[in-house]
Amino acid sequence: MERVFEIIINGLSTGAIYSLLALGFVLIFKSTGILNFAQGELAMVGAFVCFTFASQLQLPYLLAFLIALGIGAVLGAFIDLLFFRRMVGEPVFATIMITVGLASILTSAAGIIWGHDVHAIRAPFTDKTLEVGNVVLTHGSLITVGVSLLLFVVFMLFFNRSLLGVAMRGTAEDPDTAGLMGINVNKIHMAAWAIGTLVAAVAGIFLADQSFVRLSMSHTGIKAMAAAILGGMESIRGAVVGGLAIGLIEGFAANYLSGAEVGGFHFGDVKEVAAFVVMIVVLMIRPHGIFGREKVERV
Amino acid sequence: MLKIANLETVYSDVILALKGISLEVPPGMIVALLGANGAGKTTTINTVCGIRKALDLTVEDGSIEFEGESINDMKPHQIVSLGIVQVPEGRRIFAELTVDENLVIGSYSATNRRDFAQRKENVHNYFPILKQRANQRAGYLSGGEQQMLAIARALVASPKLIILDEPSLGLAPLVVAEIFGIIERINKQEDVAILLVEQNANVALAISHFGYILETGRVVLEGPTEQLRENKDIREFYLGLTEVGTKKSFRDVKHYRRRKRWLS
Ligand SMILES: Nc1ncnc2c1ncn2[C@@H]1O[C@H](COP(=O)(O)OP(=O)(O)OP(=O)(O)O)[C@@H](O)[C@H]1O
Ligand SMILES: [Mg+2]
Repeated sequence: MERVFEIIINGLSTGAIYSLLALGFVLIFKSTGILNFAQGELAMVGAFVCFTFASQLQLPYLLAFLIALGIGAVLGAFIDLLFFRRMVGEPVFATIMITVGLASILTSAAGIIWGHDVHAIRAPFTDKTLEVGNVVLTHGSLITVGVSLLLFVVFMLFFNRSLLGVAMRGTAEDPDTAGLMGINVNKIHMAAWAIGTLVAAVAGIFLADQSFVRLSMSHTGIKAMAAAILGGMESIRGAVVGGLAIGLIEGFAANYLSGAEVGGFHFGDVKEVAAFVVMIVVLMIRPHGIFGREKVERV
Repeated sequence: MLKIANLETVYSDVILALKGISLEVPPGMIVALLGANGAGKTTTINTVCGIRKALDLTVEDGSIEFEGESINDMKPHQIVSLGIVQVPEGRRIFAELTVDENLVIGSYSATNRRDFAQRKENVHNYFPILKQRANQRAGYLSGGEQQMLAIARALVASPKLIILDEPSLGLAPLVVAEIFGIIERINKQEDVAILLVEQNANVALAISHFGYILETGRVVLEGPTEQLRENKDIREFYLGLTEVGTKKSFRDVKHYRRRKRWLS
């Protein structure tokens, strides 16, 4: 029983990271129509920036964390300005290829700036644990889940209650008409990139706490994409549920399936595959994802 | 208020859509812009509203002025902030958002946020149905209700000029009559000028003060509404009335084509 509880908490904390990445992914897609294949790379850059300020420059962790978020937001805005402003309404394959190119540009730039070594960020909560009965929980995973939940609530309120949030949703649906309402569509796209990159940085920093800071951490991006698609690519709710689901599936698969032997058949490390198997099955049953709907249309 | 002079526009550098039109909307008036399919009505208002880049539309010649200021080169959101709001052809409400959220977006340009609730209430007075449906997804409204929402969304910005592109499109006569009644009330009570683009000359001339007739990118006729309503050609070609007031039959269409030549 304790073991199940630990698996759930750890699964949720990994899942929260996927959810954050998926959230940024959905946000950029919904607002600008661009599928950003560089989401994982943006997270990696965020983690390295935090590493620089927290470990190399020895600033207080919280300050380094906030600086990394700020730099993430600026980087996102800059990427929009440099690459995507002129790509609005252009064919999807063109914009996708730009994001793929952006991903490798970010990776090599990070390689030049930070090198190819593996680093760790020392956070005040690193290696601290909390014991509830027989269950051992790391502070890191609790903080990851807590901060992520907080961010999700903030985003829910932002998109449902604030003028800018509602305007972003309207712009996502129909940019031309949004322009007619006095909305500066360029500004909205820039805000989407800034926020999307900021949450990617949060995800990267938490991911670094659970493992390391290194170039290859960007591979998490592909799982975030799976999470987003699983959730339906539509909503914050979908991204969150999709990310948590994939985190939990991985946790249980790693603990109960990896290395198991069933009727003479030996499972290898199925953790990496399990999430995608579930995603494929879900999509075959519900092609629009768990929460995805077809467009509102009156017949 | 709005003054267009010798406006000439082309699509994709080749298609001459407006061949030098001039028109004016004075403060507080309803001005009708009438014309058949492809006459250039939507082109005219898109040019005014700054929707050029997305359509590959360029202004070759002429000027557009609003309250004495040239708006030829302004971006759509800048033009809205001057107080010109468009109710686009085909309504274009945000189907995925709720009725209320559509109004929130409509008020985006308003710098004073505090009186939003009051402005929304004012809009609800004209369109009570929108209050009942406040939290419903706008995509599920009926066509008439969507048109009401599109007008409400423009009105909630407290504009000085509302440009309506074919508000009667696809609606039953009874609904059209209701909506045009409300448009007339809005014009009177809100002190807002209205540029009313229509194919349905009958209803448009019933509530407007002045009218322009557009044909293939040219203004072919203009005048106070009473004059236009009395004009023999308009009665025949746009209102579908003959001298005795009966509906024209299809046989007369050929005759219309022949007569149309001198109009254009
Ligand atoms: N995006 C575009 N690219 C090229 N030509 C266009 C474009 N939009 C309109 N046109 C052309 O410009 C002319 C005027 O079209 P416009 O849409 O202004 O007509 P309209 O009077 O609004 O007609 P309707 O009553 O059917 O809406 C037409 O000949 C049309 O084919
Ligand atoms: Mg039109």
